[in-house]
Amino acid sequence: MKNPYKVLGIILSIAGAVLAPVFYFFFLSAPLTAVALSAVIIGLASFFLANARPNVSPEACQILLKTGMENTAALLEEIGIRNKAIYLPARMRNGYPQAIVPINNDYTVDNIKDKLPGRLIVRYGPGADDMAIAVTTPGSINLEMLENIPGPNAYDIESAISYILTGVLDIANSVKVDLTDSRVNVEIKNAKMGYEEIWYYYCLGSPLASIAAAISSEALQKPIRIFEEKEQAGKYRIVLEVLA
Amino acid sequence: MRIYNKLIISLAIALSSVNIFLAFLGQDDISVYFIVNAIVYLIITLLYVYLNPRAKFALNSLSAIIFVAFLVVVTMEVIEILK
Repeated sequence: MKNPYKVLGIILSIAGAVLAPVFYFFFLSAPLTAVALSAVIIGLASFFLANARPNVSPEACQILLKTGMENTAALLEEIGIRNKAIYLPARMRNGYPQAIVPINNDYTVDNIKDKLPGRLIVRYGPGADDMAIAVTTPGSINLEMLENIPGPNAYDIESAISYILTGVLDIANSVKVDLTDSRVNVEIKNAKMGYEEIWYYYCLGSPLASIAAAISSEALQKPIRIFEEKEQAGKYRIVLEVLA
Repeated sequence: MRIYNKLIISLAIALSSVNIFLAFLGQDDISVYFIVNAIVYLIITLLYVYLNPRAKFALNSLSAIIFVAFLVVVTMEVIEILK
């Protein structure tokens, strides 16, 4: 039995259940009986939480994440793309949120089409050179875990990012979002994942930034680009650029 | 697993504090201890809104059990008072 929550739950529940009648009938002590009852409550909570953990180990998840990232990185490196990805809301990609990485180095983002075809290589603008590669990112996948699509305000975006990073993935302690006209500033406390100097992160952003960008894009219903991400004094700061 | 740790630590601290406080006041009725413990448990689990759906479901199931026990204890207390 490897799950520590299950072990803790069983020990506390059994100890509490055994000690409660002993304290109540033999010691005639209500406070001690209450302590035993509290132990049962905490033990049951711990036991129930243990069963809520996914069966797949973190190592297996890491392998799957790395495989996907390395395949996408290999594709980007082979073509030689060093442009930042543009995160699109689901309505622009046939109901499936994705990011596009423009192939041409001097691209403009003013004329992105309202609907892009659901293919790997897409034409996103009217020009002949307006071609991009559409990829699925960690952020795109996480949007499916949201119960509701967040509204276009800082509070809703903050709640949605907190729900994913803190509650579902458990890779951060808290999230703060500040929304200005063309920027979304995200501040993450005690992030477990950071930025690495690799091709994939340069183009698509770190998983944290990718999640923040995908959620913000869906909330604002506008294309979004990761402008900057850095770790500063224990906080992970992400600046997202809202594109017209 | 930090959010689960936080929840269990919060529960342990809150329930212990409540028990110590009631003992300090000289309370000797076990049903009062249970009612206050149940209320504290329900409040703390409600505050953890960011838990994933599986964990929420698990905690809600336990909350339902504790709430039923809470209602039983309260009903028994009310019956005793009415007698």
